[in-house]
Parts: sequence; structure tokens; C-alpha cells
Amino acid sequence: MSFGHRVEKGYAVVELRGDVDLARSPEARALILQCLEKKNDLLVDLSEVAYIDSSGVASLVEGYQMAKKEGLKFGLIGVSEAALNVLRLARLDQVFPIHADLDTRIADDG
Amino acid sequence: MAEARLGWVEQLGKRTLGLIAEVGYLSALLVESLYWLVAGSFKRQPVRVSAVFSEMMRTGVSAIPIVFLLSFSIGIMLAIQGIHTLRTFGAESQVVIGIALSITREFGPLITGIVVAGRTGSALAARIGTMVVSEEIDALRVMGIQPVRYLVSPVLLAMLVMLPALTVMADFAGLLGGAVYSAMDLGISYAAYADRVISVLKTGDIFQGLSKSCVFATVITLIGVANGFTVTGGAEGVGRATTRSVVLAISGIVIADMVFTWFLNR
Amino acid sequence: MLTPEPQKGNAELVIEVQDLVAHYGRHKVLDGINLTVRAGEIHIIMGGSGSGKSTLLRHLLGLRRLTSGRISLLGQEIEGIHRQALLELRKQIGVSFQGGALLSSMTVGENVTLPLREHTRLDESTMAIMARMKLEVVKLGGFEHFMPAQLSGGMTKRAALARAIVMDPKLLFFDEPSAGLDPVVSAELDELILRLRDAMHMSIVVVTHELESAFRIADRITVLDGGKILISDTVDKVRSSSNSRVQDLLNRRPREEELDADAYLARLTGE
Ligand SMILES: Nc1ncnc2c1ncn2[C@@H]1O[C@H](COP(=O)(O)OP(=O)(O)OP(=O)(O)O)[C@@H](O)[C@H]1O
Ligand SMILES: [Mg+2]
Repeated sequence: MSFGHRVEKGYAVVELRGDVDLARSPEARALILQCLEKKNDLLVDLSEVAYIDSSGVASLVEGYQMAKKEGLKFGLIGVSEAALNVLRLARLDQVFPIHADLDTRIADDG
Repeated sequence: MAEARLGWVEQLGKRTLGLIAEVGYLSALLVESLYWLVAGSFKRQPVRVSAVFSEMMRTGVSAIPIVFLLSFSIGIMLAIQGIHTLRTFGAESQVVIGIALSITREFGPLITGIVVAGRTGSALAARIGTMVVSEEIDALRVMGIQPVRYLVSPVLLAMLVMLPALTVMADFAGLLGGAVYSAMDLGISYAAYADRVISVLKTGDIFQGLSKSCVFATVITLIGVANGFTVTGGAEGVGRATTRSVVLAISGIVIADMVFTWFLNR
Repeated sequence: MLTPEPQKGNAELVIEVQDLVAHYGRHKVLDGINLTVRAGEIHIIMGGSGSGKSTLLRHLLGLRRLTSGRISLLGQEIEGIHRQALLELRKQIGVSFQGGALLSSMTVGENVTLPLREHTRLDESTMAIMARMKLEVVKLGGFEHFMPAQLSGGMTKRAALARAIVMDPKLLFFDEPSAGLDPVVSAELDELILRLRDAMHMSIVVVTHELESAFRIADRITVLDGGKILISDTVDKVRSSSNSRVQDLLNRRPREEELDADAYLARLTGE
């Protein structure tokens, strides 16, 4: 099951699916960085993620940092309770902009 | 107490068994470190290149001054003794032959081996012994990192490169020492000395010295590492292992040298 | 081992020990140990000094050969396991040793990154972020460039924990987390153990002397005494156990041995 991405309402949306673990997080990282290189504002959709480990979270961190440097918007949507627990462990829930879905994010953007 | 009651035959038997066990352990170590050097990268567990280089610096490069100094002194000593002896036959100008052969075949590798045994052999035993005592070796194991691959293979490779290299330098230093004294005592010019050395030496002589140094490298590494891995009894045990590894490594080198020379020159 | 047993019923057991017997030389240190640890549970191993806790841990880690019995971890038989299988198994297990066992020749950061560097093909930047994340988790953010010798005892323990969890193991062993730490730090470590279990669904085995900490975090407790298991049960069952040795241990009552005057005299005079 490969990761997908689409462009919607001005955002590139990277859709992570299944397990984002040591084996597959390099793929996720590459996809995220690739979208950012195209100067797209980026949301990462975690709603289909069954399990994300620290290497997956590290890829998100790297993406967020790069987006900040480039002056692009970045956020997470569809974060499950399990994924949120993993983020909480390193207190990253207080770092990432987290929204329920694309529309709430856009409403929040104002 | 029970041991004291054993007769000397039993004692000898026990010692022999112990020796055989130790030699067996050393061989197993050698096979395993070579295995990782060769097969490591196929199994996606390569030997760390950076470790090999830092080890080469530590065992090789930093030993250069002392090896140079000692070999140079040995060269001078050989010249003094050689000229003194040959003078009784009035053949003192032949001293160059003696110096050239004994330095490249014997003293170059031997001096280098003894210096490195003292420096690296002991350091290896101390380093690995400390790691055993502080459970670092166990920690490596449970992290799925083979201690032999991680710690021993890089050292063995570095030693197999650096000991021959140091030996070549020791050869030069020794020959230079001989040249300096011969020039002083007999007035042989450096150019004439060099010509003489080149005409006397065959590739086989140098090769004999270098292959010896490879054997020494293996002996020093294995004895140092084995003594480190088998440390028991805390910091004091590390001290014991360090001393033991130096004594054993130097004995090992001298005996291996004798065996080697015996077979190569008959 | 002859017939591969159906693992169905035991799928949720991460550790299974059956009739384990172990010796140091001729001295029997563990005797008839039967123990199970379930997935997602925090299992505490307690017992007096010299009762065999560390020895049991070393057996569970596959660092010592057993005299008899069997051990299986994550459904894998340890005895006679193939080298490659053992390696794969160890990638899923994290261990924090009693003394930390950080490699003294490397910085804290390099220590924590080591398992990733050896076992994964992640980007350098990902590995660095992961290591820093774990150091943050154990409250050692910013200490990555320190050498192990520059850390205090409690910091060493936390750094060792960071290294143990860097690969997100399924099974975590933690030897004496709170020994020698101040009460606040040890309470923080307890909290952390709970969060690790909840967030990462780790199964965690903790060896400890600290009763309070044990009762705070344990799902089940195993009490060792003289190389045998006194009781291995839920916290409540252990608390209400009628076994007098267990109660002595829980109430920190020193054991009064019957004094055999003659034997005592002989001991003192060394005869
Ligand atoms: N290396 C060893 N050689 C011989 N006997 C040992 C060794 N290590 C431990 N023992 C013995 O095994 C028994 C159990 O020791 P172990 O270290 O497992 O106890 P422990 O429960 O961890 O104690 P503590 O709480 O003090 O750490 C003790 O009687 C001890 O003397
Ligand atoms: Mg112990």
C-alpha cells in the first residue's frame, strides 16, 4: 500500500496509510519533502494510519521544520487517538498545528 | 586446596587442557573477526570504516616516533657489534650485509611487534575488559550488535595494515642507524652504503619480514582482545588482564618469530 | 521443540518461562521458575538482594545458557535459536541496564543513535531527530553532546532508557530504574514507564526494590526468593497474599532466622 497525495483547495495533502514504521517512513519523508520543494502549503493526512512510530514522527518534524524555513503552511489532519499518544510522548502535540480535516484547517486559516 | 593435592602429572594435564582451550578460543575469535570482515557487508552488517581509520591512527600513526627511535638505535647497535666482530677477520666492510639482512628479516618486524604489543595489546585488553565490567558488551549484544564485528574486526584490519607499514618504516630507520655508525667508524659514504644494501637485499628478505609482521598483528590483536573479553572481577581484573596480555603477546611474538624463521630458513 | 506447538492460545504472551533452572558453577541460583508476561502489561520483578533477579533478567535476554527449562520471547524459543532470528528478535527488544551500560567512548547522542545506525537505513537527519526526541522524552534534551562520564547517575539511567526505546521496541526491560534516584525523578520515571506502555503499547518488565513504585505502576508482580518464585500475580493478589515471606517483604520486615548456636559459633570461627 503506497502513500498518496493530492492537491485540494490550495493545499497539497499527503495521505499516509497503514503502518508508518522504520521500513516505510523513509518513503513518507521523501514524499513530504518533495511536496514542500514544489513550494506547496502542506497538510499530512493521518486518518488512514494504523500505526506510526518515532521514525514516522521524525519525518513529520523534519517536514514541519522545512516548511517553516520556506515560509509554507504545514499541518496534520485526521490524527487518530493512537497517533496523538505517540506525539504526546515527546510533547509534539503542542508543536504541530493539528486539525480535524482540511475544511476546519481552512476555516482556521481565516 | 584440591588443586594442591593433585600430582604434577595432573597439574601438567590441567595446564595443557587450559592451553588447548585458550588456543581454541583464539582461533574461534580469529575466524569470527575474519568472517565479519568478509561477510559483514553482504549481511548488511558491515565493519565500520571510521572505526578502522581511528584504530589505524591509534595503533599505527602514533607509534611512529617510538618505533623509529628504537629501530634506529638497534641499527647503530648492530653496526657496532658487527664491525667489532668482523674486525677480527679484517672483514669489517662486510658489515652492511649483516645489518641489511638482520634488520629486514628480524629486527624490523620484531621491534615493531614488541612496541605495538606494549601499546595496543594492553590498550585493547584494558578497553574491552572495562566494557565487559561495565556491561557495555552485554548491552551491545542485546542491541543485536555482534561485539566481535563491532569491536574486534576493525582493530584486526587496522593492525594488519599498520604493522607491516610500521615495519617498513622500522626497516628504513634501522638501516639508517647502521649507515650513520658505519659512516662514522668506517667512513663508508651513504651512497655506497645504499648501493650495498640494495645489491644485498632480495625481495624475499623484505617479504619475510612483512609476512612476519602480519602474523604478529594477528597474535597481538587476538591476545589483547581475548584477555579483555574474559575479564572477571571488576577493575582489578582489568589490570590483571592488561598485564597478562602484554606478557603473552610479547611471548607469542617471539615464539611465532622463532617458528617462522625456522621454517623459512631451512 | 520437536513438534512446533500451536501458538494460538499464547499469542498475547510476550514472555513465557517454563521450569527454568540455572546455576553459577555448582551453585543453583534459579530453581523451577515459571513466569508469563502478557502483551501490554507492566510486570515487576521483586525480591531481596541475591534472590536471583539480575540472573533471571540475563536469562531472559539470552545472555546466559540455561541448565534446563525453556524460555520464549515474543513467541520465539530462545534456546537453539538461529543467529539471524535472534538478531531480528533483539531489534524488537529494548534493555536499560542497571548501570546504564552506555558506551563510554561515544557521546550520549551517538549512544542513542547507535541501534538506528546499525539496524536501519533511515536518513541521517531522521536518526538525529529520533534520538533528540527520545532524549526529550526522558528529559535530557540538549545533552546529546555530553560524554557518559559527564552525566550523573540518574541522568545515565535516563540516557540508557532513551537508547533502549529508540527503536520503539515491543518489549522493554528496565533494571532498577529508581535505585539511587531522588523521589521526584523516580516518580517521573514511573510516569514515563506508564506513558510508554500507553502510547507505544510496549510490554515492560521492571526489576526493582522500590515497593511504592512497584505498586504504582505494576499490572502484575513476581516475587523471587532464594531463586524460587514466591508469587506471581496481580498487584491486589500480591498485596493480600497470605504467604508470610511475601508479607515480610511488603512490610519491610527483616527476617529473623532461627539461631542455631552451634552452627553460628562454627561460622564465626570459620571451622
Ligand atoms: N558472576 C557470578 N558468579 C557466581 N555467582 C553469582 C554471580 N552473580 C551472581 N551470583 C550469585 O547468584 C545469586 C543471585 O544473584 P543476582 O545477582 O541474580 O541477585 P539479585 O536478585 O539481582 O540481587 P540484587 O538485588 O542485590 O542485585 C546470588 O547468590 C549471587 O551470589
Ligand atoms: Mg541485581
